[in-house]
Amino acid sequence: MGMPRFIIRRLLASIPVLFLISLMIYGILLIAPGGPEARFAQNPKITQAQIEAFKKRWGLDEPWPVQYCRWLGACNPDVSGTVFGTLPPPTALIGNSGLPNILPGFLGGGDNGILHGDFGFSITDGRPVGVVIGDRVLPTLILTGTAWILWVTIALASGVYAAVKRYGWIDQALTVFYYVGLSLPTFWLGLMLILIFAATLHLLPVAGMWDTRTIPPFASDRWFAMLSDKPLFVLGDLVRHLVLPVVTLIVVSIAGDSRFVRSSMLDALNQDYVRTARAKGVAERRVVIKHALRNALLPVVTNLGLELPFLFTGAIATETIFSWPGMGRAFIDATNHYDYPVLMGILVITAVLVVAANLLADVVYALVDPRISYG
Amino acid sequence: MADIADTAPGAAPANAASNAGNDSPDYEVQLESLNQWQLAWRRFKRHRLAVIGSLLFLFICGVAIIGPLFVPYDYHIIPPVNVLVSTGRPPSWVSGNWNPVLLMGETANLQRDVFALVINGARLSLAIGVGATIISVILGALAGGVAGYFGGWVDWLLMRIVDALLSLPLLFIILVASAFLGAGNWVTVMLIFGFLGWLGLARLVRSLFLSLREQDFVYAARAVGVSDMRIILRHILPNTLSPIIVFSSLSIAGVIIGEAFVSFLGFGVSANTPTWGNVLTGSLSALTIGNWWWSFFPGFAIVLTVLSINFMGDGLRDALDPRARV
Repeated sequence: MGMPRFIIRRLLASIPVLFLISLMIYGILLIAPGGPEARFAQNPKITQAQIEAFKKRWGLDEPWPVQYCRWLGACNPDVSGTVFGTLPPPTALIGNSGLPNILPGFLGGGDNGILHGDFGFSITDGRPVGVVIGDRVLPTLILTGTAWILWVTIALASGVYAAVKRYGWIDQALTVFYYVGLSLPTFWLGLMLILIFAATLHLLPVAGMWDTRTIPPFASDRWFAMLSDKPLFVLGDLVRHLVLPVVTLIVVSIAGDSRFVRSSMLDALNQDYVRTARAKGVAERRVVIKHALRNALLPVVTNLGLELPFLFTGAIATETIFSWPGMGRAFIDATNHYDYPVLMGILVITAVLVVAANLLADVVYALVDPRISYG
Repeated sequence: MADIADTAPGAAPANAASNAGNDSPDYEVQLESLNQWQLAWRRFKRHRLAVIGSLLFLFICGVAIIGPLFVPYDYHIIPPVNVLVSTGRPPSWVSGNWNPVLLMGETANLQRDVFALVINGARLSLAIGVGATIISVILGALAGGVAGYFGGWVDWLLMRIVDALLSLPLLFIILVASAFLGAGNWVTVMLIFGFLGWLGLARLVRSLFLSLREQDFVYAARAVGVSDMRIILRHILPNTLSPIIVFSSLSIAGVIIGEAFVSFLGFGVSANTPTWGNVLTGSLSALTIGNWWWSFFPGFAIVLTVLSINFMGDGLRDALDPRARV
């Protein structure tokens, strides 16, 4: 079977998975007591009539299959009424242009629902969910991207070195680091780093992404103006704020990944072709880099690919502790404020990214490893 | 061969003595036959860190069970508002004026005794870790076993569910579920971790079942008319016990860290019932005024516990599944 067919098959197989995911995300939030109107529960000034109006305004008075169908984008929100009291009427499946609502917009379908890229509006501040999330992408990418590059480089270098100099002192130290690192809760590591480097030694800032006394809000017009004016000052300040969160993020990951690289490299170094290369008199350096490392990288690359969604979702704990204005914080804020549209938007986007990363890892693996038969 | 060599140091003198007594030929070596678990126990004992880890873990469990009885302070007595202060007292051995009860200092604001919190927190942290793991193991072994044994559409459906659940950002789901469903109840938090933690194990058990169900002993059992459920539970499942045990130990460690994380953010177990995680809520702001003891000791308890479990798990893996050694 050919590669294109394999990719198409995997793409088709991910459709039921994605459908199940959307149902699960909806289901989890559905069984949560209270619902979006729970945000008013503590407010004595809100009357029952106002809550009813709120539910009507957001379509929450409809039965859940209707709500789900509209959120998904298969139903036309302008068609009201139900059949059997719970299900959306068949006429709701037809969009305003007379074609099925589920079709993409340029084919005459509707424009509502996640299938059309419409995640609704934030209940907290009324902005479209896409804008709310979009604002958080850049800070998160700066944080997680830096962390990811550093952690991949360090994990690769230390893992390979430990495998080549097996039982050397670096290897021993890495083993200790592996055990301790895997036992560290990330958030506690962050607390301890703040305690040592910010609260006691006063070397680095405690929290935030920029120094609010000297620098305007990140990515605002004034910020860009200052960036072109004094780039070293602005970027230097950003780096100072990045150090502690990045270290918090990468320590635990490096501990696991360098161990993984090491064992994969040890595997490769024990193969017959490495012995053959050595027997032929190939220089040790060349044996390690050309013969062993290239083969050892295969599982490593796949593993790193599976970690890619993390670049987007960021780090909930780290962003909360260090007040970093990223996705993780947005998620926590949305949870605190019962902001269902934002919550569901983040969950759906993340789930799609995870599915895509899995698919990508499979395809890359099948491409580079001739032993894999993609049946 | 290795087993014979291993028995030699302990067994040889005894054999020599008995051989000398009854004049038997010296080439006849008496071998005690050990079953699989005795062999595993012997391998485990040789793993020094694993033994230390297990003893430490047992000690922590003991502290969790009977420790709270000996703590002089109640963690839930909250001082009246006019006595509240924004900074806590440091541990007595740091401040110099020795006081046998102020071992780990006192939190800011509510002035709770950190030692009492750590000891009481051990109970729920461990209970949630162990309880959630038991749920995951039962669910994972059953789902994986049924999927692997029957194959067909059952397998397809179960594995698609596992795929879908694994594609969810689990941490996000756990956070939302604990925040909206948990209401601070530790049993709910335990159930959430248990019901979302079985996915990896289900895949593992399924793959083992796929190969085991083709073995002769399964055909034999089926030929004499043993029921499917009995074959799964009594014939195949015992053969997958080693990886399940290793999974359990690592799962306990994972759930302890996960619960601490969720509770630290304020979405998990409510502060009325301390765990090592929710005790840390609010300690961040106290750090900047130098109250290091509040954050340090509960977190250190987590690290110590998880470290001991990880060492134990490593020893278990080496002992139960020597081929899987990395």
